Amino acid sequence: MSISNENAAESLAAVEDTISRTRKAIASTYESPFLIVWGVVWVSGFLGTHFFLQWVNWIWGFLCTVGAAATAVICWRQFRVWAPTKTAGERRMGLRTSLFWPLFFLYAFVWLSIMEPHSGIQMNAFLCTAVMFAYVVIGLWFDSWIMVFLGLGVTASTLAGLYLIPPAYYCLWMALAGGGPLLVTGLYIGLRWK
Amino acid sequence: MSELNGVIHQPVRLRIMASLVALDKDEQVDFTYLRRLLKLTDGNLGAHLARLEAAGYIKIEKTFVARKPRTYVRATGKGHDALHGHIAALEQILRGSGK
Repeated sequence: MSISNENAAESLAAVEDTISRTRKAIASTYESPFLIVWGVVWVSGFLGTHFFLQWVNWIWGFLCTVGAAATAVICWRQFRVWAPTKTAGERRMGLRTSLFWPLFFLYAFVWLSIMEPHSGIQMNAFLCTAVMFAYVVIGLWFDSWIMVFLGLGVTASTLAGLYLIPPAYYCLWMALAGGGPLLVTGLYIGLRWK
Repeated sequence: MSELNGVIHQPVRLRIMASLVALDKDEQVDFTYLRRLLKLTDGNLGAHLARLEAAGYIKIEKTFVARKPRTYVRATGKGHDALHGHIAALEQILRGSGK
C-alpha cells in the first residue's frame, strides 16, 4: 500500500484532531455540569453575602445544600444512567471520589479550628483556596489540565482579593473573580468542546 | 520499519481508532456517544466497527445500564499497536519527503 505525502499529512492531521476532540468532548461531558453548578453557587453566594450580610449563614447553607444535591444528581446520571465512557476500575474510582470530598471538608474544618482565622474574609479565603487545592489535586488525578489551571487561577484571584482588595468589596470581587471563572469555564467547555 | 495498515487507513476507521486510543487503556465508549462525536450514522458506524472488530482491533460489549441496552466499544492492545504502527508509517512517509 502506498499513498501520497499529502494523503499522509491529512491522515496524521485527522488523527491528531480526533484525539484532541475526543479528549475535550469527554472532559466537557464530565466536568462542565459541575463547574456550572458550583459557579452559580459561588456567584450567587458572594453576591448574596455582599448585599445581605446579615443572612450570610442562611445564604451559604441553602446554596451549598442545593449545590451538593445537584452534584449528587449529576454523579448519579453520569455513572448510572448516562455514562459516555466506562472503565474496569470505575466503581473503585467512583467510591474514591465520593469519599474524597467529605474527608476533604472534614480536614478543612479541622484546620480551620486549629488555625482560628481572625475574620470572616480570612475564613472564606481559606475555604476557597482549600477547595481550589482540591480542584488541582483532582485535575492531576484525572489528567485534566483545565481543572489544574482553573484551581491555580482562582487561588491567585482569592489571594488578590484577600490582600489587595478593600474588605468591603471582597465578596463582589470573589463573585466576579472566583465564581465567574468556574461558571464561564463550565459554560465554555460545555458549549465549545462538545 | 512500520507499514501502512489497509484496514485502519480508511478515513472513518482511522478516526474511530484515534477516538478509542484517546481514551485510557481499559476505558470503553458508548456507541451513541461515539456516533455523535464522529458525526456518523448508526449504520455507517456499525459497519466500520464490525470491520475493526473482525481485525481484532476493537472489542464491542453489549450490556444493560439502568435496564436499558447499551453498547460499549474499546480498542484492544492489538488495536493500539496497529494505530501506533500506522501513525509511525505515516510519519516515515512525511520524513522521507523532507516535510
